[in-house]
Amino acid sequence: MAHIDLDHVDLTFHVRKCGRVSLKEFLVRQMFRRSANPIMEVRALRDVTLHVGEGERVGIIGHNGAGKSTILKLLAGIYPPTEGTRVVEGQISSLFEIALGFEHDASGWENIGFRGYLQGETPSTIKDKIQGIADFSELGEFLNMPVRYYSAGMLVRLAFSIATAIEPEILLVDEVLSVGDMAFQHKAHERMREMMAKARLIVMVSHDLTSLAQFCTRGIWMDHGTVRMDGAMEKVTAAYTASVSHPPSQAA
Amino acid sequence: MTAYFRAVWQCRYFWLSLVKMDLRTRYRRSVLGIGWSLLNPIAMTVIFCTVFSQVFGQADIGSYGAYLLAGLSCWQFLTGVCLQGCQCFYRGESYIRQHPAPLAIYPLRIVLGCMIHFLLALVVVLVLVWGVRGLGNLRSLWMLVPSLTVLFAFGWSLALLAGFATVHFHDTPHLMEILFQILFYATPVMYVADILPERLAPVVRFNPVLPFLDLIRVPILENRVPSLQTTGSAVLITCGVAVTAGFVLKRLGKRLIFHL
Repeated sequence: MAHIDLDHVDLTFHVRKCGRVSLKEFLVRQMFRRSANPIMEVRALRDVTLHVGEGERVGIIGHNGAGKSTILKLLAGIYPPTEGTRVVEGQISSLFEIALGFEHDASGWENIGFRGYLQGETPSTIKDKIQGIADFSELGEFLNMPVRYYSAGMLVRLAFSIATAIEPEILLVDEVLSVGDMAFQHKAHERMREMMAKARLIVMVSHDLTSLAQFCTRGIWMDHGTVRMDGAMEKVTAAYTASVSHPPSQAA
Repeated sequence: MTAYFRAVWQCRYFWLSLVKMDLRTRYRRSVLGIGWSLLNPIAMTVIFCTVFSQVFGQADIGSYGAYLLAGLSCWQFLTGVCLQGCQCFYRGESYIRQHPAPLAIYPLRIVLGCMIHFLLALVVVLVLVWGVRGLGNLRSLWMLVPSLTVLFAFGWSLALLAGFATVHFHDTPHLMEILFQILFYATPVMYVADILPERLAPVVRFNPVLPFLDLIRVPILENRVPSLQTTGSAVLITCGVAVTAGFVLKRLGKRLIFHL
């Protein structure tokens, strides 16, 4: 049974006002006890309790900076919770920041290997999939070229093709539906639909309310790091849309 | 801990493919490329040999060359591991941001790359030694296997620590280069420990790098097993650094992502 349990999860980022510290600065500061580069706290998630069970399709909405992507990364195990507990059972596959993380000097084929292995493939399993990935990306001859020379659109195509070539139990998706040109977007939507049909549990983040309504049954509205509303997708979308078009007066 | 190593082993295809790529980029897919990347220690050896024979009138240039090259390649392994290790988490940043794989694989990638390069350099050293002195006691070469294992563990831990230090203090590589600069002269790499005057003896006795150099130099150059003191200090230092690395990984590993 794939399931996700977040129990009173808090996540606080500690950000330095002036970027990274150097050892020199650290030592000087310790000696003179005067902080020129204070640490600022950002509470990205506050007291989030969430249970997602097998078979659920969850869509997360909210304004920019509400903690949507953060919660997804926390679910994926990339961010540790500052407080509270996270229990995730099932093999996770995540689709976010997919356009990053290429080895620029390696060819497209080689990058399929790196990404595939990171996702848990082995040389024997990837052998069966590599042609499929290449075909889906439609990059053809370009795959022999170093990724350095790819356009942004080509990178996204390749990334999407690799990332969606697996059959995950838990699928975490962040804004990847708007990839590539029109024709590829159509294909990508098809592929997402297939994956979603196979995955046992899905959590996705998007600003595209129409596609969320297509894919998801349960909606979660995040607001300033908290869950503002949790319920049927249509209801949550309606409430969210209403609040955006008629902002309450105290919102400023 | 076993579980952690198992997790590292589970993603072996990932880091192995990265190491393979690193080496291929380094050697540019050619035999000449391999020679090219070994040029640095060889050229340094030639220069030192010339200087020492012409200026100082050193007699036995062949064995000095072998001593120097063996020491230099080992030294380059250690500095390489530390300096490249500084960047290990930045180089893997986009993977870290996407997938919660065990962090130790990123320094592992560095140390494997350096190790393979080091092995190639050792082949050159062996050829040189055999050329100068003829095939000696080949059995003592077996001693290199445990020596290299210790160096590998040492290098892995160092790379991990360097990586964490750099993520937290971005001027680490800079400071490290200075430190290595000093250490290079304080370590018998280009000179033999015996030539130092008596008052400088502690520099050698408490030098943390020397045991590791001797682990490699003694079996190759002197055809014997390194002394118990050498092996013991190297193993002890490695254990200390490895435990520190494990502790740092445990304490800071989870929160690394926030500092990248």
